[in-house]
Amino acid sequence: MMRRIQATALLRDTLREAAARWVFWGFYGLSTALILFFLFLLRIDVIEGARATVTLLGETSPRALPVTRLVRQFEGGVASFLYVAGMGLALFASAGLVAATFEPGRIEWLLSKPVSRVRILLWRYAGAVIVVALNVCYLVLGVWLILGWKTGVWDAHFLVAAPTTIFMFMVLLSVVTLAAVLTGSAALATMLVFALMVLSPILAQHKLMVRLLDSEFWRDVWRAMYYCLPKVFEVGRINMNLLRDRAVESWMPVWSSALFAAVVLAAALAAFSRRNY
Amino acid sequence: MDPDAAIETRELTRVYRQRWRGREIRAVDGVSLKVARGTSFGLLGPNGAGKTTFVKLLLGIVRPTAGSATLFGVDCRRPEARLRVGYLPENHRLPSYWTGAGLLDFAGALSGMDARARRRRIAELLDLVGLQEWANVRLSRYSKGMLQRLGLAQALMHAPSLLLLDEPTDGVDPVGRQQIRAILRELEDQGVTVFLNSHLLSEVELACREVAIMDRGRLVLAGRVKDLTAGKGYLVTAAHVPEALFETLRAKAASAAMRDGLAEFLFPTREEANRAVDVVRAHGGWLESVTPTGSTLEEVFMRTVRPQTPEQL
Repeated sequence: MMRRIQATALLRDTLREAAARWVFWGFYGLSTALILFFLFLLRIDVIEGARATVTLLGETSPRALPVTRLVRQFEGGVASFLYVAGMGLALFASAGLVAATFEPGRIEWLLSKPVSRVRILLWRYAGAVIVVALNVCYLVLGVWLILGWKTGVWDAHFLVAAPTTIFMFMVLLSVVTLAAVLTGSAALATMLVFALMVLSPILAQHKLMVRLLDSEFWRDVWRAMYYCLPKVFEVGRINMNLLRDRAVESWMPVWSSALFAAVVLAAALAAFSRRNY
Repeated sequence: MDPDAAIETRELTRVYRQRWRGREIRAVDGVSLKVARGTSFGLLGPNGAGKTTFVKLLLGIVRPTAGSATLFGVDCRRPEARLRVGYLPENHRLPSYWTGAGLLDFAGALSGMDARARRRRIAELLDLVGLQEWANVRLSRYSKGMLQRLGLAQALMHAPSLLLLDEPTDGVDPVGRQQIRAILRELEDQGVTVFLNSHLLSEVELACREVAIMDRGRLVLAGRVKDLTAGKGYLVTAAHVPEALFETLRAKAASAAMRDGLAEFLFPTREEANRAVDVVRAHGGWLESVTPTGSTLEEVFMRTVRPQTPEQL
C-alpha cells in the first residue's frame, strides 16, 4: 500500500515537472502542428478509389499517384521525422527532467524520505518515458486517423512507428540517466546521447570498416563498439521495413540495444545507490 | 545500540578523499552521540565543523566511512529508519512547480500517508505556519521566509517522532523565528525529539535543552544547556585518563568530552572540580588545566572551539 502511494507520488511529481517545462509543451505543440497540417493544409483527392492527387496550400500535384503509395510515403515521412527529430527533442527535454532530480538542496530532501533510491530513480525514468510515449502516441494515432479518414487507407503498419520510437527513446534515456547520476549535468547527458545518435550510422558500416582497417586490434575495437553501443540507425531501418511491410533480416539491433539499456540503467541505479550528496 | 534512544551514533566517521591532491578531509571524525527520545537537542559548531555532514549521515544521504548510526534502533542506511523522521535541509530547493498544498501532499505521500490523512494534515499545517492563504500559489512566488516555514510544515507532515532541522530560521524574520520556536516547544511537549543544527548560539540556547559542539569533525563537548550555562563552573582538562575513570567522572560532571586525547569535564562547583583533580592524579592522569567557565552558551562555545588559521577558513 505504502509503496503504491509513493510510486504514484513520484510519478505525479515527474508529470507535474514536465508540465511546468516549456520544452515539453513545445514538443506537444510540434505534434499538434503536424496533425493540423495533415488535417487542414494537405488535401488528398482520391480518384476512383485507387489513385489520388495532392493539394498543398492551393497547389495541386500534376499527376495522380496510387493512393496506398501516397499514404505510405506520408506515413514514412512522419515516422522518420518522429524517429530522428522527435526523439532528439524528447531526449533534450528529458535530460533536464532527469538531471533536475540531483540538484543540490532538492536531492537531500528527497533522500530524507522513507523511499529507496532505486525507486526514486526508476519512477523518474518511468515518468519521463510516459510523458514522451503519450506524445508519440498522440502524433502517430492523430496522423493515422487523419490519413485514414481522408483516403480510406487504414495502414496499421504505420502504428509500429510509436513502439519503435518509444523503445529507442527508452534505450537512449538510460544513457541520459546514467550521465545525470554521475555528473548531474543535463547538457553533458544530451551531448552524450546526440553523439551516440551520430555515431550509430557510422558504426553500422562495421563490415566495410573491418575490411578497411589494417590492424586486428582496431578491427576488434570497432566490432566491440558496434555490438556494445545502441543501434539507433539500424533500429530506425527496422522501423521503416516494418512500416513498408518488408521482412526484417535480423532482430539483433533490437535485442542488443535492449540489453545495452538494461546494463546502463542498472549501472545508473547502482551509482545512485552508492553516491553521497 | 540503545533502541530507546532517538539517535545513537558510534564512532561515526566520514572521510572525503581529494583524488588529485591526495588529501583527506575528515568531515566527521569518530562521533559517538546519544540523543534521548523527547528532548530538544542542538548541534553547534563553526562553519565547516561537520554538522551538516553529520545530519546527512543520520539520514543515509551520505554513507559513513566507518562507525554506525541508528534512528530509534534502526540502521540509518535503511529507508525504514526515516519513517519517523522529518527533515528540513539547509539551503533547500523545494520543487518550485508545486503549490504549497501540492508540495505538502507530495511530501506526505512519500512518507506513505493515504490521501484522506494528507488532506486533513495539509489544512492543519498550513494554518500552523500561517500560509493558508498561499496554499494554491506556486512556490516560485514564495519569499525565503515563507519557503522556510513551508519547509518546516513538510517536515511535520507525517507527524514524525524525530525532527531534524538544519538552520531552520535561516532567512526568517524575527516574528517568524519566534513562531518557529513556539512550534518547536509545542512539539517537544508532545514528546517529539527535536534535533536542531545551527550556528546561531542564541537560537539553540532558546530552543534546546541539550547541546553538543562539533569542531573540525569531532564532538568536543556535550551536555545540558542548563548545566553548561549555569553560573560559574570549572572545566578540568586532563591527559592519560583511563577509560573507566573517564566514564565514572562523566557521570558526575555536568558534561564531558574527549578531544585530542585530552579529557574535559565541566563541574558546577569548585569542590567537585578539586575532588575530580584528586581522583585523576590518583589514577595516574596528568592535569592539563582547570579553567573557570562562563555563564553563556557563547562563552562555552568560544572556549571550546579552537580558532581557525587563515588556511583553514
